[in-house]
This record gives sequence, structure tokens and C-alpha cells, in this order.
Amino acid sequence: MNMSMKTRRGLFIAACLLPGLALFLLFKVYPTIQIFHKSLYLWTGVGDEPKFIGLKNFVDMFQDDVFLLALRNTGFLMLIVPVLTLLIALVNASMLTQSKLKERGFYRTVFFFPSILSFVVIAILWSFIYHPTMGFVNSGLELLGLGDWAMAWLGDQRTVLWALAVTLIWQAAGYYMVMYMAGIDGISPDLYEAASLDGASKIQQFFKITIPMLWEIIRVTIIFSINGVLTISFVIVSVMTAGGPDRHSEVVMTYLYGQAFTNSNFGYAMAIGVFIFIISLLLALISNKLTERGSH
Amino acid sequence: MKPKKWLTTVAASVVAVSVLAGCGSNNGSNEASPSASNPSSPSASSEGGKQFENMELNVAVFQGGYGREYWDQIAEEFMKDYPGTKINITASPKIAELVRPKIVAGNPPDFMYIAGSDNTPILSGLIKDNALTDLTDVFNEPAEEGGAPLKDKILPGVLESRSSSPYGDGKVYLAPYNFGVMGLWYNKTLFDEKGISVPKTWDEWFALSATAKENDRALFTYQGLYPGYLEEIIVPSIYSVGGQEALDQFYNLDPEFWKSDTFKQVWGILEKIANEDNALMKGTIALNHTQSQTSFMQGDAMFIPNGTWFEDEMKDAPREEGFQFGFLGAPAFSADKPAMAMTNVEQMVIPAKAKNPELAKEFLKYLYTDNSVKLNAEKSKAVLAVKGAADIAKEYISESMYNVYKAVDEGIVTVNGAFQSVAKGSKYNPSDEVFKPISSIMNKQMTVEEYGDKMYQIYTNIQNELKENGAQE
Repeated sequence: MNMSMKTRRGLFIAACLLPGLALFLLFKVYPTIQIFHKSLYLWTGVGDEPKFIGLKNFVDMFQDDVFLLALRNTGFLMLIVPVLTLLIALVNASMLTQSKLKERGFYRTVFFFPSILSFVVIAILWSFIYHPTMGFVNSGLELLGLGDWAMAWLGDQRTVLWALAVTLIWQAAGYYMVMYMAGIDGISPDLYEAASLDGASKIQQFFKITIPMLWEIIRVTIIFSINGVLTISFVIVSVMTAGGPDRHSEVVMTYLYGQAFTNSNFGYAMAIGVFIFIISLLLALISNKLTERGSH
Repeated sequence: MKPKKWLTTVAASVVAVSVLAGCGSNNGSNEASPSASNPSSPSASSEGGKQFENMELNVAVFQGGYGREYWDQIAEEFMKDYPGTKINITASPKIAELVRPKIVAGNPPDFMYIAGSDNTPILSGLIKDNALTDLTDVFNEPAEEGGAPLKDKILPGVLESRSSSPYGDGKVYLAPYNFGVMGLWYNKTLFDEKGISVPKTWDEWFALSATAKENDRALFTYQGLYPGYLEEIIVPSIYSVGGQEALDQFYNLDPEFWKSDTFKQVWGILEKIANEDNALMKGTIALNHTQSQTSFMQGDAMFIPNGTWFEDEMKDAPREEGFQFGFLGAPAFSADKPAMAMTNVEQMVIPAKAKNPELAKEFLKYLYTDNSVKLNAEKSKAVLAVKGAADIAKEYISESMYNVYKAVDEGIVTVNGAFQSVAKGSKYNPSDEVFKPISSIMNKQMTVEEYGDKMYQIYTNIQNELKENGAQE
């Protein structure tokens, strides 16, 4: 044996990592480099030779009314959805772990269920829930005598983003709830006992014990949840509203797709992609910084 | 097992199975296994003694409501008549996605039939890139030995229109396939039973609003999420008011169109639909095509715009008792003008970088033979854009569909058109810009004036881009 144990082990580790690394480079790193590269070109994405135009795509982007609208819409969703999703997830997780309900397991399954459904299925399901005449929402309102409040939720620019937000929250809340439940299970019950002996109410315990102890997990889920909105919103918007009415539910991902494949304006779409990439990165860094705390 | 554990197991398996519920979709390409006859002679000659250097043809087709049997069969027939040739067919509902990487790699199929709103944008890309083969000579050649040129067989006006000749230079780059007729539909049974006469003008049409109310329905609905369907009443109306001149202004992206009377009159109709009582069915704006079409068939609205694919698309959908498809086209503006309808033609192309354009052109010619037209009618239940195709197809298509095509043959004036290409790199898509904001008009959140100003600006921008692009070339 010429090789030492250390070298052999090193080689073995390298051999195990190699396939994964190769796939990662090929399917993640290389396309990302291509996106950055092509964003500087004029290209239909179909036949011709790409033509270098420098940063013109980026300049055009910020003068594009539709893009700015899509940005506002996406921003709205990226703000509302994570906040409400995580709040609901935390509260539910706290209730389910603290209570002595026998049906805990059942509730956990039911809440978690939406997050494993295909996004297209969820979109079609909610399209029918919001259906102006046959859907649950409007039929329910009429049953309760509130028929005046029934409107075309997905067709009115004032309500469409909120309607989509509800769908996104419904999809994700269960997933994060289960994560938080696992986290809470890791908190020693002695803390809660001690607190209740000292006279702390359930709500005080929630804020003073549960949230701080879960903080690291919450930090991670904030980033996941914001990015999740970006990706999931594409399917939800495409199927439920096609970006309508009149672009008021257009999100950056659907606009990117439209420019790339319908308008054959690939370079421009790549520029939008670069912008999204940078924004996501910035948001992740910012939220990391803002939620940072000294180690304890 | 204890009950609690059993319950958990059941719940887990329900969850697991439901995950599989998402995996129902078919995957893209199926390669038809062609049976090449006469493999013995290496330099096989075909019918008519035609020789081809390359005997293999790669064909990509859209597989939609019309299915793929026609293509499989016509390929078999072709291979029999041209022994030694081999045709590989790739068919998919998402054919553009499948074909795109091949095109980008410079290795496109030899022949493509692209249809379906998800797929046709790739044709716009190819047109912008000048990446299609000129097919004019195929249509100038005789259809059969010593006969009249093929173009005489094609429905009049089709080869000259922008859907076949996109550059306006008289050269054909996209060959016509199935043709459809689009316009307003109504429930024929209702009209017959209640003695309602089919409206010939827009005034008569709006007057039916009261009749509609008596029959517990709104006057009109459309595919809310996809306001592009409204072109089926808008385009014929533009022609009806302003003639070909106005239609050309509209499609050629002339900003002055948005200051014209034609615009005001035609869009006035949309405004009226939005504002009049009982005119627009409640909730229309949020409905997709299936939902709105089902509502129409269940009797919630009296009219809906759609095309000749309507009956087949909704064949499994619920409908009110005795429902029968009646087609109206688009009403005229005054009693002296005829009713109109919009037509659309599906397209087939041969990419410029195809490896085997000669055989592809021969295959294209073959598709217009009488036998092929009949086979198409039988297998796709569709009508090819050739003269007399409706009669050839009569025994295979439904009565209502046949009546529509017959009406076109006998008197309804048809219009057709497509937007001029925008500059390469333009973020504008004229179809989106024109039709999407109509949702805001229907929601009463935008007036026709505001819309007109906005469109004038957009068309001006598009023209500026085209000028800049032209200057750079």
C-alpha cells in the first residue's frame, strides 16, 4: 500500500462528492453563468446569433411600466405572504404542541397536507373556490346573507393580489408549522413549567419562551418563505389569473416567462432573471443581518 | 395493529397516494415506428420517378384536440407512395418546448406543424429571425402532373394574408393547415323555441338584452381571463366600420388608428357591454375559458365568442337541456352590411436550417392531395384550408360545424389578419397590449378614452423602435 490511510480517505470522499458536484456545476452553476452572460445580449432564444448590447436590457427594464407593475405586485406578495404564513404557522405549532388534544396527529396531517399538493392542483382548486357564482367563497357569502360582498375575486384589480396571497399562505403554513413543531419539541418543558409557576400566561410564554428559543429556525424559514413566494407565485398566477386583470397580478416570474417564450425577447428576460437573483440574494442577506443576535 | 397506529398508517398512505395523483400527465414525444417498404433497392425511386438525396424526414407536430392519428396515417401513406423514405414523427401538446432546444442547437426538424396558443409564439420568433424556408415555389408548382398550380386549390385570400406571408412581400413562409371560423355562438334551441330572431346588427343585438333577462340569463359572456377571445367580435367589427383600410391600420401598428372613428365605434360596443344592465354576465372577468364556456352552455348567458373547435372541446361538458350550437359570426353596424366572421388558419413550416428541405417540400405538397384532405377530415374531424374541404369533411364533422363552414362558403364575409412583427428585442407584444387592458374597461376601471390614449402611446413607441431597428440594419 503506497497510499496512506489519510490519502485514501481523502480520495474516497472526493469520489463521493464528485458526481454531486458535477451535476451541481452542470445544472446550477453553468446555467446561472449563461443567464448573466445572455442578459447583455439581444437574442430571440430561437435561431439567430445573439447580439451584444451591453446594459441596454437593464436600462429598458426600469423604464418598462409593466415590469415595474410586476415588481410592485411581487413585492406585495413577498411582504404579506411570509409574514402571515409564519405567524399562522407559529401560532398553530404552539397550540398543537402545548395542548393535550387527542386529535393532534390528525390536525397536523390536515394542516400539512396542502404543502405536498402539486402547485397546479392547488391553483385549479382555488380557481374554483373563488369562482364568481359556483365557488365556496361567494356561495358561502350568499348563504350567510352577505351576497352583496360577493365579487369576482380574481377579476378585480383591488382583490386579486389578496386572493392569491390567501392561496399561497394556505399552501405553505402547514409546512412551516411542522418545522416549528419539531423545534418546539426540542424546548425543554421545564421552562414552560417554571414560567407557569411564576404566573406567566400562555401568551406571555409564547412570546418570552417559544419565539426566542425558536429564533434560529425562524430566521431560516423567513428566507425560505420569501424565496418560496417567488417560485410558487409563477404557477399560481399563470393558472389562476394569467397575470390579469390587465396585468394587475403579473409577477416578475410570469413576466420573465412571457418575454422569453411569447415575445422571443430572451436577452431581456435574462436581464430580469439577473435582477431577481440579485434581489433574492440581497433580501436573504438583509433578513439574515436584521434577525441576527449575539450567540446565547 | 392498534387502532391509533392503524389510523396513522391509513393517513400516511392517503397522503402518499395523493402525491401520485399529480403524476397523470402524458410525457412528450412518441416516435412513430415507420414501416419503410421496399428496403431492398438502395437508391429507391419513388412515384413519379423522383429521387431524393436524403430519404429521412423528421416531422414535429402539435398534438391537441385534433389528435395525431392523421399525421401517423398520412406519413404511412407517404412512405408507401414514396418507397424508401422514412418519416419520424414527434407529437406533443407542448411541441414548442420539445422543438426549441433542437432549433437553438441548429438542428431543427425538417417539417413542423405548430398550433395551440402556448406553441405558436415560437413561430413569431422564427419569423423575426428569418429562419423559415421560402415555400412560394411549392404553391406555384402544379398540384398534380400538368395540372393547375397548388395555390389555386387553397382558399382564396389565405396565401396572401399575413398568417402565410408575414413579411408582406408576397412570399409564402407558413403553409396553411386547418382553418377555423370564429364569432358569436348562441343556443339554437332557445332561439327556435322562443321565436327569437338572430340579430343582424349590433343595435338588434343589444335589444336582446331584455329578452335574455326574461330567459334568466345575461346577454353576453366571454373568456374573462383571456380577453384575446374578444378579437373574434372586434376584428370583424373594425372591418365592418372602416373596411380593409382600418383593419390594415390596426394590424400594421399605425398609431392613428387609436384616434379614428372606427376605434371609437368598435370599442364603444365594449363599453356598452360593460355598462349596460344585464349585458355582461356577472363574474365573467374572473372566468377562464372552460368556466365561461360551461356557463354559456348551461344557459347563464345568451352569447359567447368562440371558434369551430367549440363543440369538440366541450363535448363532455354539462349543458342545459336541448342545447344546440348556433353560430352567428359578428353583427354588422348597419342593416345594409353583411354579417361577418373571423377566420384563422393553422400553420406548417419548414425551418431554414432543416437538413432535408426537398423531401419536406414534397411531403407538404402531399398533404394537399384530395386523399389527404379526406383523411384529415376523418381522423382530425377538421377542415383543411382548401376549396371544397367542408363538403369532403361533411360526414365526419358535426352538423353545427358543417353549417358554420357552409355559411362561410355562402355569404358570411370573412376577415383574417395578424399583427405586424415588432422590432427584435421589443418588449411589446401587440396582441397582449391591445387585448389585456380590455379587462379594465369591462371592470369599469378604465374608460375607452384613456385606453385609446394609452394604445396611441404604445403604437408610437413600437413604430419608433421599428425605425431605430431599420436604421441599425
